[in-house]
Amino acid sequence: MSAVKKIGCYFCTGCGIGDALDMKALKAIATKEQKIPVVKEHAFLCGPEGVAMIRNDLENDGVNAVIVAACSHREKTAEFRFDIELFDRVDLRDKCLWMLDVKEGDETAEEDRQMAAEDYLRVGCVKIKKMNVPDPFLHSDGSRDVLVVGGGLAGLTAARDIALAGYQAVVVEKAETLGGKMNNMLKVTPDNRPPYRDLTDNFIGDLISQVEGDNRIKIFKNTVVAKTAGQPGRFDVTLKSGGTPLDIRVGSIVVATGFDLYDPAKLPGNLGYGASPDVVTSAEFEKMAKAGQIVRKSDGKPAKRVAFALCAGQRDKAHLDYCSGACCIYSMKQALYVIEQYKQEASTFLIYQEIRTPGQMEDFYRRAQDEGAVFIKGDVAKVTASSGGGVAVEVKDHLLRGTESLDVDLLVLATGMVTTVDTIDPNVASQIGAARDELPGSVLNLQYRQGPSLPRLGEAGFPDSHFICFPYETRRTGIYVAGPARRPMGIAATMTDASGAALKAIQAVEAVAGGAAVHPRSGDLSFPSYRAEGCTQCKRCTEECPFGAINEDDKGNPLFNPARCRRCSTCMGACPQKIISFANYSVDMISSMIKEIEIPEEDEEKPRILMFACTNDAIPAMDMMGRNRGKISPYIRIIPLRCMGSLSLVWIADAMSKGFDGVLLMGCRHGDDYQCHNVRGSALAEVRLSKVSETLDRLKLESVRVKMMEVNIMDADTLPKAIDAFVEQIAKLKPNPYKGF
Amino acid sequence: MADVHAAGHTILVVGGGISGLTTAVEAAETGYNVLLVERDPHFGGRVAQHNQYFPKLCSPTCGLEINYQRIKNNPRIRYMTLAEVVDIQGAEGDYTVRIRKHPRHVTEACTGCGECSKACTVEVPDPYNFGMNTVKAIRNNHAMAFPVWFHMDPEYAKSEEAQKVAKVCPVGAIQPEMQAEDVTEKVSAVVWATGWKPYDAEKIRPYGFGQYANVTTNMRFERMANVYGPTGGKIVRPSDGKEARNVAMIQCAGSRDHNYLPFCSRICCLASMKQASYVRNQYPDSKVTIFYIDLRAMDRYEAFLQKTRADQGISWIKSKPARIEEDAQGNPVVIGENTLTGERYAMPFDLVVLATGMEPNSAQAGKVPYQGAAYDDYGFVTGGVLSAGCAAYPTDVASSVQSATAMAMKAIQVAGRRG
Amino acid sequence: MAYDLSFAKEVYKKSEMGHWIKMCMQCGVCAGSCPLRAHWQHSPRQLFQMVRAGKKDEVLKSSDMWMCTSCYNCIARCPRNLPITHIIHGLARYAETQGKVDPTQPTRRFAVEVFWENIVSTGRVGEAMLTMRLYFQDGIGAGIQRGLEMKDSALGMLKTRRLNPIPFRGKIKGYDGFKKMLAKAAELEVKLENKA
Repeated sequence: MSAVKKIGCYFCTGCGIGDALDMKALKAIATKEQKIPVVKEHAFLCGPEGVAMIRNDLENDGVNAVIVAACSHREKTAEFRFDIELFDRVDLRDKCLWMLDVKEGDETAEEDRQMAAEDYLRVGCVKIKKMNVPDPFLHSDGSRDVLVVGGGLAGLTAARDIALAGYQAVVVEKAETLGGKMNNMLKVTPDNRPPYRDLTDNFIGDLISQVEGDNRIKIFKNTVVAKTAGQPGRFDVTLKSGGTPLDIRVGSIVVATGFDLYDPAKLPGNLGYGASPDVVTSAEFEKMAKAGQIVRKSDGKPAKRVAFALCAGQRDKAHLDYCSGACCIYSMKQALYVIEQYKQEASTFLIYQEIRTPGQMEDFYRRAQDEGAVFIKGDVAKVTASSGGGVAVEVKDHLLRGTESLDVDLLVLATGMVTTVDTIDPNVASQIGAARDELPGSVLNLQYRQGPSLPRLGEAGFPDSHFICFPYETRRTGIYVAGPARRPMGIAATMTDASGAALKAIQAVEAVAGGAAVHPRSGDLSFPSYRAEGCTQCKRCTEECPFGAINEDDKGNPLFNPARCRRCSTCMGACPQKIISFANYSVDMISSMIKEIEIPEEDEEKPRILMFACTNDAIPAMDMMGRNRGKISPYIRIIPLRCMGSLSLVWIADAMSKGFDGVLLMGCRHGDDYQCHNVRGSALAEVRLSKVSETLDRLKLESVRVKMMEVNIMDADTLPKAIDAFVEQIAKLKPNPYKGF
Repeated sequence: MADVHAAGHTILVVGGGISGLTTAVEAAETGYNVLLVERDPHFGGRVAQHNQYFPKLCSPTCGLEINYQRIKNNPRIRYMTLAEVVDIQGAEGDYTVRIRKHPRHVTEACTGCGECSKACTVEVPDPYNFGMNTVKAIRNNHAMAFPVWFHMDPEYAKSEEAQKVAKVCPVGAIQPEMQAEDVTEKVSAVVWATGWKPYDAEKIRPYGFGQYANVTTNMRFERMANVYGPTGGKIVRPSDGKEARNVAMIQCAGSRDHNYLPFCSRICCLASMKQASYVRNQYPDSKVTIFYIDLRAMDRYEAFLQKTRADQGISWIKSKPARIEEDAQGNPVVIGENTLTGERYAMPFDLVVLATGMEPNSAQAGKVPYQGAAYDDYGFVTGGVLSAGCAAYPTDVASSVQSATAMAMKAIQVAGRRG
Repeated sequence: MAYDLSFAKEVYKKSEMGHWIKMCMQCGVCAGSCPLRAHWQHSPRQLFQMVRAGKKDEVLKSSDMWMCTSCYNCIARCPRNLPITHIIHGLARYAETQGKVDPTQPTRRFAVEVFWENIVSTGRVGEAMLTMRLYFQDGIGAGIQRGLEMKDSALGMLKTRRLNPIPFRGKIKGYDGFKKMLAKAAELEVKLENKA
């Protein structure tokens, strides 16, 4: 849209704004100083009449850019929802009336408040002047198909759901059959589906037929993904199966590669794997049960006495430090197999640390007990092969407080699940007819500058980014992980998880088709572009992007993939040349906003402190503070940032040379339990800040003038004190000597 | 594919807690119209009453804020608060639902300025804080409440003062005479996400909740630890307001128990570990004792258990306490047998927190008003309509979101089907 | 062999309510609820785990089961709904049938020798006779000493008509029917045991 910008600025005088502020002066600034062509006010702007006034100007007066000068941008969003891109809010109520420490009747303080309101108005005006309408990133050759990697329970469930939602799915399975680990399973535990006490028949065959019979689902068996290039909406994926690679285009990807069992050879020696053929893993036991006869491996005699060692190599720093969540229930199921086969002659023991049968699965625990399974809280101390077959298990019994020797025909080790989100079993090579060294290095083999794998977080390496509130979000846009590849889980949870991931995949293709961002800035149509001639190939943008959105050409120039971008603008902050910008957010825009704030002369003794606040957590926290009428100094001016990751050091230089006495940055908590919605934004800002002393030294200013605070959204009550402390610290310094330059 | 994208059929989501919010935003962002109905005046449900999430010890408000922003920015989501679905007729793909909108006595013109609350002189027990403090009869629940509109207690609305307070409102949003109203909507899919309520701890007689002042519940404790709770976040004994530095947490208070809730509520162990950290962080010399049968830190939460175990100030006793008595100083004394040592204990504490479990709202008053609805023995919804989060099974936030997203998928499959 | 389940299976079948032992989850509520816990070597849940561990002699020779006074606190509180009081009495009875109980175990002697004979002989409890048999079971001297110790209680009970002083009150009406019932019960018990 290249139409001439016609800005309308609409003041609300309600909620006490008209009483507290000199509206005449504000309007004069808008009209005369800022040259805004349409300036109006209303006593109840969010009411039907006020909104109609704005709508009328949009429809009949050619206004195409709107400033609403009223309350916080978080309030009255439904009322102030206009079908225009150039829109901004100037917060007079929350940020001036509610949170500034001004006693009514104190003329000086009221004057300070007025100055704040005028500054916010100037900032708002210059912001909308600098804002351009984003031209969404669209492509005509995009795809809405979803690639599902893995044809086990998670993959099949995802593919089926994608098809049922009316989309096309492509399933890639490395083996020659679909079904994955479920194929080996005799019966299925109920998990959270009633009746909770009963095992059900393995249904994977039905699911396979359903998927194979659906013409919306294309299936590639004996196939792996050789590489994945491109971006959401048009991922160009090369499939490898035998000789000729096949290129397909898909819109988004569900990774459902499932799990491997922890290598039993690595298990601690006390568990006795390898000591006797009668020590088996639960997977080996399941295969045997499926084949029909539960027998001792050593001599083929019936295995009527069977012990199950839970948490084998799990919850153990030296092995898997997590719990797989499903093994207690799985082992109970296997105990039931033994009881089913040998009836009264069966003796089954579950040696456990904690029995974990959450939710309604407590019913299944009771069922196992009712059938006669014996639960022993203890540790397996030693396992020795018995001369006549079977093994002797030495158990440290925690409840009977002694060491007991348990003679059993079989000891079954409940080994844990290891994600395969990034590993390709070398045995696949023969299946797909390739040499081992021809296998791709990772499941998707992403052609991303930041590497071929999905980034994994934490010690255990789960491939997600905000697993409590937004568990499906990975750090690669349009790629979602489902099932035990994402996190250890049982059968019912896997199916639920796959449905959810499939929805996210569909959501991503739809968003991308409209040029919009997905979570957390859902719907944002802006995306980064850069001025190529200014680039010094420093690679900071390509390195720092939390979502791997930017590739590099041979010379080190950035290659933006807008559909991979989450619009956090970390790249913009990273760029020392200030050449990366968004249509509606840029270094120049914020710089101009800073410069628009008036700095009183030194002798007026009115210091100015600039605060950059993250719009995700810090700004809501400030709003909450305002709502509770928590007070801060009227000398502070707040500029919201999309994310601290967009912080450009030049803004600090701008603020200092403009005469601000201090700069306070409020970003989200970082570290292991980070809260930054863009994962690394606030952490990167902190790193950048470590270099700010150079700027300050150059200006011969004290380093304490710039401070970063980690703010939690619930810090509303502690913010005034923390901010006061900074204001006091600044007050102790001499005024910034650059005032008035 | 364009026909799918443009599907106009509406998905009804009942319940605006973390599950319902998630189903609503995920379905809407996929291109479907959503009607979100919440019984309370504000969204957020149980999670909005939580101080922190385990294991990251971060505020639920942070994730809620993002979801609220997504709702605010998405015209595909329509929502109603203080509203209940009272009747559902029809079948999948074509339901007719009747929704009762309870009177808020405040219209959507409310700007949240707070003048009415200032003028109101009547205080009522605060349901948001389980009645542990009083609040104005016209208010919003907390500073982050969304939607921001205030609400007036129905009893107060009948008073003379309500008429006076109505005149204070600068935008004329207060209407004491507002009546309940039923509206009818056509929807194609129904997702039931009505969540849970804390099990009534008074029913667990041997533990003396309601009898002994210093025996409280995990949800009450959660409010106590919160800055907007009854004590402004200070952990104290309700009897005398003294700092509670020696605190017991009793697991399976009501859960895994044939006499109360036979199922495991899944979250209580982890919630208690989290609450132990509240005490330990507030008072460095404090002691916390956790009584448990099995520590259910499922899958990746194991790391949180290990982290909590590393704190020497927290002790663990594998035992379901038999009963609680009160000593002369008003200390609750927890009595039972340590199953690992076989020793009997009778330990006095400043405060005992009962880790009471989850009762599905659908077990009683929140039943699905639909003939085809099916439940398990415990009242969790198992069929007839789609059910998400704790309406389907007791679970934590992450898995509620997982379930809610999956239900968004099931719902769009119905809503996208063309008749 | 530890955890030989033959004893457990025997108890599940033959001991009254014994099959409930399978359902114990070792939470410890019974132990904490028992007012006489201090006098037990093993609490109910420990006995149950010992049954499951195959510790036959330790369980059956234990004095523990004889300590229960049937207050029902444990039953009321057991989260797994185990009828603990009945299970305990069942175990005691089972131990008796297996001849494992120490004959000097006081509760056993009272129950099996004194009480049973007293009630069977007339069809009713004769308190005076019961008390006398109990006091004098260890000899005349001990009986007199015990009687003197308890005389205030006895007088009090007499005054409040809580003790019938008449030592021989004769048989109840329909004593023959009562005897037949006992015989039938014994017959059923044998049948049950053979079946198991």
